[in-house]
Amino acid sequence: MARIAGIDLPDNKTILYALPHISGIGHFSARRILDAVGIELNRKVKDLNEEEIASIRKEIDSNYKVEGGLRADISANIKRYIEIGSYRGLRHRAGLPVRGQRTRTNARTRKGPRRTSGTIKKKS
Amino acid sequence: MGRSIKKGPYIDEKLFRRIRQMSETDTKRTVKSYARRSVIPPEFVGFTVAVHNGNRFIPVYITERMVGHKLGEFSPTRTFRGHSGRKKKEEKRH
Repeated sequence: MARIAGIDLPDNKTILYALPHISGIGHFSARRILDAVGIELNRKVKDLNEEEIASIRKEIDSNYKVEGGLRADISANIKRYIEIGSYRGLRHRAGLPVRGQRTRTNARTRKGPRRTSGTIKKKS
Repeated sequence: MGRSIKKGPYIDEKLFRRIRQMSETDTKRTVKSYARRSVIPPEFVGFTVAVHNGNRFIPVYITERMVGHKLGEFSPTRTFRGHSGRKKKEEKRH
């Protein structure tokens, strides 16, 4: 079992498809990491030796933002938008789409489940 | 698509000249501007720019952390007063 950046990589996958299990690493950076350390893309995780794992670990630690550190950076950015009172901050605070999407319909990812506000009958 | 790096950030020349002039003479007055599309350069820090929102000028005090944003981001163009609904109708009744 290979542990990189606090995440266990699945043994039975090839390393190219195991690396994206780390949040912050996608297909593109997975390929780039493996090119940088010189490991073939189609090797299985269980077939890699300690040295190779260590070299990948070193490459990721020194050149990539991943997992908790990445998430912390993202939320720090959002916090900054809110504190400086920018439009993006306002949208984050209101829980509405930030990048100019329509809100007349859709936008359910940001707005959450529908809340219909029908008139409620008065009890007599 | 982002702006070409070759060109550098877009900064409104007229506003930039006025701010530079003010920092040379050590005066601090609010400058009215329509240049919502202008990027905020580090030289603006500490000044107040009144940014037009289509209706009136919103005073924006520039802090260090606003550098690199655009002036328009700090002068919202829409006012959202909330939807009509149950709460509002109850308020009306009173």
